[in-house]
Amino acid sequence: MATTLATRRPGGRLRLRNTLTGWSFILPNFVGFALLTLVPVVALFYLAFTSWNVFGAAKWIGTANFTRMVGDASFWTAFRNTVYYTVFHIPLTLVISLGLAILLNQKLRGVAFFRTAAFFPYITSIVAIAVVWNMLFSPQYGPINQFLHAIGVSNPPGWTTSGTWAMPAVIIVGTWREMGYYMLLFLAGLQSIPGELYEAARVDGANAWQRFRNITIPSLRPTTFFITVMLTIGSFKVFDLILVMTNGGPGQSTLVLSQYIYQKGFVENQFGYASSISIVLFAICIAITIFQFLMNKRRDA
Amino acid sequence: MKRSILTAIGLAVVVPLAVASCSSSPATTSSTTESATAAGPVTLSLAGWSLKTTPEFQALADAFHAANPSITVVPKEYDATNYDTQMTADLAAGSAPDIYVQKNLKNFATYQIGGQLLDVSDVATEVGGDVSGLSGYKVDGKTYAIPYRQDSWYLYYNKDLFDAAKVAVPDGSWTWDDYAAAAEDLTSGLKTAGNEALGTYQHTWQSTVQGLALAQTPKADLLSGDFSYLKPFYERALALQAAGAQADYGTVTTNNLTYQAQFGTQKSAMMIMGSWYVATLIAQQVKGDANTFNWGIAPVPQIDSSTAGTDNTPVTFGDPTGLGINPAIDKSKIAAAKEFLAFVASEDGAKTLAGIGITPAHVSDAVTTAYFSFKGVPTDDLSKFTFGTHDTKAENPVSKYTAGLQNVLGDLHSSVMSGSASIDDAIKTAEDRAKNEVLNQ
Repeated sequence: MATTLATRRPGGRLRLRNTLTGWSFILPNFVGFALLTLVPVVALFYLAFTSWNVFGAAKWIGTANFTRMVGDASFWTAFRNTVYYTVFHIPLTLVISLGLAILLNQKLRGVAFFRTAAFFPYITSIVAIAVVWNMLFSPQYGPINQFLHAIGVSNPPGWTTSGTWAMPAVIIVGTWREMGYYMLLFLAGLQSIPGELYEAARVDGANAWQRFRNITIPSLRPTTFFITVMLTIGSFKVFDLILVMTNGGPGQSTLVLSQYIYQKGFVENQFGYASSISIVLFAICIAITIFQFLMNKRRDA
Repeated sequence: MKRSILTAIGLAVVVPLAVASCSSSPATTSSTTESATAAGPVTLSLAGWSLKTTPEFQALADAFHAANPSITVVPKEYDATNYDTQMTADLAAGSAPDIYVQKNLKNFATYQIGGQLLDVSDVATEVGGDVSGLSGYKVDGKTYAIPYRQDSWYLYYNKDLFDAAKVAVPDGSWTWDDYAAAAEDLTSGLKTAGNEALGTYQHTWQSTVQGLALAQTPKADLLSGDFSYLKPFYERALALQAAGAQADYGTVTTNNLTYQAQFGTQKSAMMIMGSWYVATLIAQQVKGDANTFNWGIAPVPQIDSSTAGTDNTPVTFGDPTGLGINPAIDKSKIAAAKEFLAFVASEDGAKTLAGIGITPAHVSDAVTTAYFSFKGVPTDDLSKFTFGTHDTKAENPVSKYTAGLQNVLGDLHSSVMSGSASIDDAIKTAEDRAKNEVLNQ
């Protein structure tokens, strides 16, 4: 050991210094990640098999939490609502953000302004969004229903105060909020498509729809894939928007899984059961993501 | 050069992180020094929330220190809305204050079952029968917290609006039918007088309907899982809403109406609300956030005439707010902490609270006098009767099921009030959920 140190090449010292500097950059992030994410996540997998009310030791109860979940009607309500949100939110956001991106990819006057405007909802505080949209949705005095009245809808929906319409209302706001962000990603994707492809297609006599169908869509596939995965995960763990907009109500009509976890954990202090629901949510997200990866791979081949 | 600066920044970030993760709870070190000088001055920490706008904690600490100069109580601030979450975390981490508040009875069970409260039965015996709400903290014959304030729900009414609508002000004998009739008369009377105010205002909380239904219906029991007792109360609330005598639930939730503004800026002539609002309304009238008008408090309407009238004891509801001792407290401080608990439930402690417009748990004539000397409190006979005479039932029975049941009932409330489900369906759903999701755990 001593000899190696003595006969070390002159560059060794520099390398050591570089390594240390490198580590010092990673370390804060890594320590933070380990303490705040890794440890809790590992603990979660243990807690899911226990009954624990925060105080004292967690009691090991095996798979009892999971069997309880199977018979828990509220869990299934939350599950159905989450799927409801996801199934509408993903395609809507995809289509609208792609449409916006294509529109704002043109050479228009003031395009920078419109791009910024479309991105604004994403950086606005979610609480402010919820408060303002709630007012817009107000059944009697809200502008949305007054507009619907004006165009002849005699019995406009009650939106966030109606068990049937609360979820559509939340989906609309969720889509409105996120479209700007995904539009930006699509925009980046669109700008990486070489212009020659379109020129060549035009020369061959392809119309706008054919160009879109055969150039834009396939070229955007990596972007679309990424966005779909992000949207899926985002939709399954939707929480803040619903919590401040409807708090899961009326009744349980907008109760989603994340909120159910929050309710069981932080309101009712059943941390074991809440952990086991989080694991199920995690499993759903990972299963769908893997499925999407496989689909993408098959199409690549 | 540049690199060394970056290294230094990197280290500056890393070192505190490492130190923070290694350091043990500072409370342990300080308490060992404390026990060495057990006879000397003692400092107790007390949990509180929004200390700037909630003066009760500092007021109690100061009054107690004046009576016991060797003991200092230092309030520690928590966030009012996340109080129980933060307290739970602090207790689990061992960094909670020596004495902490039981903000409501719903979470008391969690702390008690979790072994986070010392047995203070001796203090309970000492403070005796003048303290209301004490029984709420009793589990298996032992008492785990001492109430210092006991809020009850009253009927607030705006005398000016009653006069404008030419409706007779409450006389203390009202049943729910009288209340509903008055709300409708007020609404139409005010409209005739060219005033847009409504007869009454019902806030979005489930307590506004369920608390009173539970307290006043004979044999109603939250833990039984039988919620049929709620039906007449919801029918009335919906009828008032349909008649336009109170703001529609949907309007209240979508526009985030606050009860302080609805009553304080004269948008409604009546409101059923907890006694804490007396101090808030007075403060807001002084600051200009609320209009200045003549108002008073009356007993909440009763289910029938047997408890109505000033010669009876009206039934209302409210949870006590109590203080408990953290079992992690240093042994040498327990005696001092118990003294503080005894003080807050005593007549002197109660007078301190009454002096700042808070409803103390200790009831006596001297306390009532102190309360009504607080500037701005309505001093008519009915208001005095309302403050001094009532049978306050707990909203939350102490049980491990309470939090779960209240969640189920919260869903019932929003679906009924918004009209998303009929009363019968919502009650049926709630009963099924109570049976299958809460009471079987």
